[in-house]
Parts: sequence; structure tokens; C-alpha cells
Amino acid sequence: MTTTSPLTPADRDAAATWVARMDDAAAWSTADEAALQAWLAGDPRRHGLLLQVQAAWELPGVVTPPAAPEAVDSAPGDDAIEPANDRGAWARRGVLGGLVAAGIAGAAATRLVLANGAQYVTRLGEIRRVPLDDGSVMTINSDTALKVNLGQHAREVELDQGEAWFEVAKDAKRPFVVASGPVRAQAIGTAFSVRKREEGVEILVTEGVVETWSAADATQRLRVVAGERAMVNARALVHYQASETAPVDRALAWRNGMIDLNGTTLREAADEFNRYNQRQIVIADPEVAAEQFDGLFRIGDPDGFAQTLKATLAVKIDVSDPRTIRIERAAETGF
Amino acid sequence: MEDGTGPDLRAQLERRRALARWVAQEIMPHEPRLRAWFVKRRIAPDVVDELMQDAYCRIAMLDTVDHIDCGHAYFFSICRNLLARRLKRQVIAPFEAISEIESYRDTGMPTPEEQVATRMAFERVRSLLAQLPERCRRIVELRKFEGWSQKEIAAHMGMTEKAVEKQVWVGVRAIREGWDRLEREPEMLPTGRRAS
Repeated sequence: MTTTSPLTPADRDAAATWVARMDDAAAWSTADEAALQAWLAGDPRRHGLLLQVQAAWELPGVVTPPAAPEAVDSAPGDDAIEPANDRGAWARRGVLGGLVAAGIAGAAATRLVLANGAQYVTRLGEIRRVPLDDGSVMTINSDTALKVNLGQHAREVELDQGEAWFEVAKDAKRPFVVASGPVRAQAIGTAFSVRKREEGVEILVTEGVVETWSAADATQRLRVVAGERAMVNARALVHYQASETAPVDRALAWRNGMIDLNGTTLREAADEFNRYNQRQIVIADPEVAAEQFDGLFRIGDPDGFAQTLKATLAVKIDVSDPRTIRIERAAETGF
Repeated sequence: MEDGTGPDLRAQLERRRALARWVAQEIMPHEPRLRAWFVKRRIAPDVVDELMQDAYCRIAMLDTVDHIDCGHAYFFSICRNLLARRLKRQVIAPFEAISEIESYRDTGMPTPEEQVATRMAFERVRSLLAQLPERCRRIVELRKFEGWSQKEIAAHMGMTEKAVEKQVWVGVRAIREGWDRLEREPEMLPTGRRAS
């Protein structure tokens, strides 16, 4: 794909010739098309060049821009996900917003009131936002099970499986503690997420400070501040990352129904999508699985993700089985 | 030359043009921001050109763009992936460059900058058209905005169709080259990346 000699001015002129000729569809003949194809075949990059030149020609210039959208009217919650360059995009965004909202609204159904609190379970692909009686709000990710117990002296959440993000209402008298296995995370007026992974429990802090420890040794505590990520297991506390909030926000993109990949290997990316979707992404080739990738995708759209891969990497997509999307290595193209 | 052309030929032409229009609307106005972002990270302008060309190649090869919600975010993403691959392939990869690339985030929300970008693109094309020689400009306007055929323009202006096509060519080329030239003028570029 690394280019060698740049395209020449002659190429650019030729591209302009084709665009000028194609502009009048009535005058375009089979012979013209054949000649164009022959020209394109001369250098694969000409496809891109032709597109660029034709797009420049198609840029609107005289027609007044449709009342350039002066007011950004999106909700201050900033949960808008979709672009808004044309009306279609706005319409799509409306639909998507509706879906996410519906997922959230359908919440209370699986709340089971237990003797010692309430249990919440989300299915695959379900993301749910649950306000708690103390004013805190938790957003529960796909395929998660947790219990909440708001007592007089403590607020406790037990995460059995999955991931949730907590926006904790301040209440100095009742510490807010999330437990997952032996791991504990206590909020100090804060927003943070806890995710149970195979290798331990991951804590991401978006606001304030969280104190975390393992029940095995409550004396050894770790403070995690906004923008940091900690990995904790029964034996050790591992401090992951202390950088700006961007990576943490990225890892929590699911709150907006998005998956945000950055330099993520395809294996990890596939795992992310598979957390949310019945249709599983299968990566057939270990070398492909190790490729890194970035981009922002909708959680429920593994297909769009696969299409993007196809456009960017040398892979081909097999969707013949409705239960899977297979990603395989393709023969290198001419790029 | 109206015949000998199956519906396939027309369809192909129309598909090609629809894609170009989509690019003109969704991606091109954002080229300056993309370029500024790369340049700020010391990626050489030539390299940026090549990345963008590669990315456009990939877009040209797509069967459909229906699955793309946000054209420019998609385009950014392709460019960044291409650059990341390129850097990783170099023996001494500028590490900082890679992590910076990966930390760029575009949620697809139309920021004020994006709206400005779209408007600036209009202004740019308008000014480029205004700089064309008089006769050329009239032909381009008749063709592009009034939808006259080359034949009609030829009859109207008393010239051959070939000559009309030549003038359209001059117009196509002027817009394309002018666009590139303006893009490299740093004062045209909005600065600063968005905090997210």
C-alpha cells in the first residue's frame, strides 16, 4: 500500500478530462467507458484520484448552502451519536436515540426484589440506566448481573458478572462500595465503572476519587483518581494508566451505545462486539487478529464494523452463516 | 451518440457520480481539518496527500456507502489506520506519533467547526469559480448549475461540443487545483483539536 512514485500532473489532467467528459451523460459512450476503465487499470491509485477530482467538481458552489445549521440543537447531555450533515443523518440519529432510550426505559422489568436488596440482570446487547433511591445512577452494560443493597450505614453493590458505571450521589454517612469477588471499590463522591474481567476487576474513574482494595488485605488500598484505570485481582493491585480522561471516556463509550477502538487488536475488537451481539465476529486468521485498528462504531452494528475492516485492511468478509461474521485474510490488493 | 449504451452504462455513470457527490458533501469540506490534524503532528504534507489518496481509493472501491453514517469520521478513521500501519512498518516508528494518532476522537457530532467547514467549502468554490476566465465561467455555470447539455451550450455560444468540453475541463481542473492550493494555506485551517 505504500506508494512509490507520486501520481503525475498528467494523471491529474487526465482525471479532469474524464470528469469533464462524464459530466454530460448523454455524450458518454461504451467506448468512453472502456477507455476510462483502461486508464484506471493503469494505476490503482487513479480510482482515488478520479473520485477526488469528480467530487471537487460536484462540490456545490452557487446554490446557497441550505441555511447553514446555526444552532446546534442537540441535547446538553451530549449523548448524540450520529452525524448531522444532512437531514437523513438527523433522521437516523433520531431513530437510534429512540432505540437506546427504549432499551433504558424497558429497565425495571427484571428487577427482583430480594430480601437484602435488588438484583439487576441485563441480557446480551442490553444497556440499562437505573436510578437508585439515594440519588445515584448506575448504567449497566450488556450481559451483567449485580445486586444493590442500600442500607442505613452503607450502600453496597455486588457485581457478579459484567460491567456497570456508577454516578454516585454524595453521602458521607453511607459509603458507596462496589464488590466484585474479593475486590472492593469505594467511591468518594464520584463517577466510576467496575468491570469484572477474567483476569481481575477493572476500575475506571471518570470523576472524583475511588479507593480500591482486595478483601484479602484491606490495609493495602489504592486511590484511583479521575482519568485513571486500575486493574485489581485477589492478590495484587495493579495501577494501569494515569493519563488524561480521554482513554477512560473511550472505554466507557458503551454508555452512548458506541464502541470506541483505538489501536485495539482485531481480536479484542471482536470480543467487544461479541459482548453485545448474538451474531458473533469470528476472526479466522491469527495474523489478522493481531492487526490493530481504530474507529468509533455502534455497539449493535458488527456488520458496519466488518465493512469498515474490509475497506481498510486486506481482509474479506464471509456472512454466509447468519450466526457469524467471518473475517479472513484476503490476497493483498494492488494498494 | 445517444445509443449503443445499455442501462448498465448509465447506471455505472450515475453510481460514480452519486459517490462523488457523497464525497463532496460528507468528506471534502472536512479535508482541511484532517490535514491540519496531521500537519500538527508533523506528518509531512506529501505523506498526508498520499494517505488521503489511498483513503479515497478505498472509498472508490466500496460497493456502497449506505452503511456509513458519518462520512468524514469514517474517512478520518481510514486515514489514521493507514498512517498507523505505515508508521508501524518503519524501523524506527515515532512512538509519540502513533499514540497521538490513536488518541484522536471524533464522535461525529457536528461541532461549530464542522459547520464552518461546510460553509467555508461553499465560499471556496464560489471564489474559485469567480476567478475563472469569463467565457469559461459562463460555460461552467450553465453546465453545472443550469444543467444545460454540452450540445445546448455549444449551439448557444456558437462553438463546437469539443470546445465546450475543453472549457468544462478547464473548470474541473481549476476547482480541483484551487481546492488543493487553498487547503495548504495555513490561515485557512482551523486550529486546535477538540477535547472530548
